[in-house]
Amino acid sequence: MSANSDDILVIDTIEVVYDNVIAALHDVSLTVPRGSIVALLGGNGAGKSTTLKSVSTMLAAERGKVTKGTITYDGTPVKNQGPAEMVGLGMVQVLEGRRCFGHLTVEENIIAGAYSRKLSKSEIRNDLEKIYAYFKRLKERRKSQAGFTSGGEQQMIAVARAMMAKPKMLLLDEPSMGLAPQLVAEIFNIVKELNEKEGVSILLAEQNTNVALRNADYGYIIETGHVMLHGTAESLLTDDKVKELYLGISKEGRKNFRDVLRAESA
Amino acid sequence: MTEFLFFIEVLVGGLLAGTMYSLVALGFVLIYKASSTFNFAQGAMVFFAVLAFVGLMELGLSFPLAFIATIFLMFLVGLGTERLVLEPLMNQSEDTLLMATIGLGFVLEGLAQAAWGVEVRRLDLGIGDFPIPWIVDNLGLFISALDLTAGAVATVMIVGLALLFKYTKMGLGLRAVADDPGAASSIGIPLKNIMLMVWTAAGIVALIAGMMWGARAGVQFALVDLALKALPVLIIGGFSSIPGAIVGGLIIGATEKILEVYVGPFFGGAIEGWAPYVLAIFFLLYRPEGLFGEKIIRRV
Repeated sequence: MSANSDDILVIDTIEVVYDNVIAALHDVSLTVPRGSIVALLGGNGAGKSTTLKSVSTMLAAERGKVTKGTITYDGTPVKNQGPAEMVGLGMVQVLEGRRCFGHLTVEENIIAGAYSRKLSKSEIRNDLEKIYAYFKRLKERRKSQAGFTSGGEQQMIAVARAMMAKPKMLLLDEPSMGLAPQLVAEIFNIVKELNEKEGVSILLAEQNTNVALRNADYGYIIETGHVMLHGTAESLLTDDKVKELYLGISKEGRKNFRDVLRAESA
Repeated sequence: MTEFLFFIEVLVGGLLAGTMYSLVALGFVLIYKASSTFNFAQGAMVFFAVLAFVGLMELGLSFPLAFIATIFLMFLVGLGTERLVLEPLMNQSEDTLLMATIGLGFVLEGLAQAAWGVEVRRLDLGIGDFPIPWIVDNLGLFISALDLTAGAVATVMIVGLALLFKYTKMGLGLRAVADDPGAASSIGIPLKNIMLMVWTAAGIVALIAGMMWGARAGVQFALVDLALKALPVLIIGGFSSIPGAIVGGLIIGATEKILEVYVGPFFGGAIEGWAPYVLAIFFLLYRPEGLFGEKIIRRV
């Protein structure tokens, strides 16, 4: 995969090992063109979160390590900068499971996102208003304790908080998790809007293949640490194998991706 | 009337003594908030800080100079703890951290005694531990000047810290880390700096608590155990609450004195040593998060 200055993120055949023994990724390569939304799809344990964490360098906190391959973000090699430095470079990860600061108010949560930036009080207010324009629901609830807001609101808080760091790139880890379909749609609409209006590039890990591909430009499907298939979102949505395995449109019941490939080559 | 005055005197004396417990408890709360760890070394930090302070004064430093130098020393202790203990143990269980703080306590106790010796020292703050004449004359109450000073100092520290946490950027960072260190780190809050700040703040609180206690009881090893009196204070007030530390301290101070005076004789006296723990057990049974502790928020 050739590095291109139009690509904000290039992951080149990385291998990730946890605790020095457990290999979670084997040879994952992917590219996120600047200003696009790229979906990273796959089931539980496929390596989606691990991929995102190796990019944001949150991996070290879980005793994981990139042992082979390279990651290049915005022209800079990603090694062991640490999350704070990556946020400074404009890359923010929204962790799986929302992870709001439960005892802080909604507004305090969002303001905390600006921690890495040196802003005056009025600049913070200014940015806050811009963010509320995308997340109108949060403005109404800004004085509530975040721990008592709904799951959908918490997901919005997590995204809004990340946006407050003024990222060039967002890594979203399963924003649809545990949410009702209407809320999932609402959140993806906001994500899409942020991508279009703010020009934020997005790498999105999802299990909800359908919603993810409808909103993304390009998709990668990974399974047990390998990229199995990739292509434009439209091509993946109409791909028979993807339909069968990930969209639940099947003729013969559940299958493993490998089996499909094997059946094909046989 | 004199009966009543005597009761008020016991109560006020107890409340003021309670602020001393609050001061020690405050140090525990700071670290508990940031790392969900009960810092067993807090007692040792109190001892270490005040012994260093007295030691530096003996070397000829003036009061303010020794005070500043000790604060710097506590910053170094915080730095050392962060780099040598907390960082290598990152992402280990809370139990592991708890054990590490016990070890840290022994190290600090040993270091302090190796550097300054083991004898009991006197600390003269220029504030006597005797009743203030004006209050005796006008209100008829015997209230110690030292108690009153400790009360005022504790109040200032607590109000100051509460404002710091509520309104400053560092404070917001600390509260974010207290809630979810992983999420805080993901948005670029530097955990190391927050930890360093918290340990330094806990060190300063330890120094001030040590000075108040030391002025009353002498600067000695027993300060380490005295600091454990903060445990019932924390159980009553809540481990994660600054207002809880102060109210818990007041409750413990007042109850132990009132019980000592009015109930003590039936048990042959000296119940103030264990009465607070009985109260703590009562709280554990009926209100385990304490009066002001953050309720565990769990969405269902």
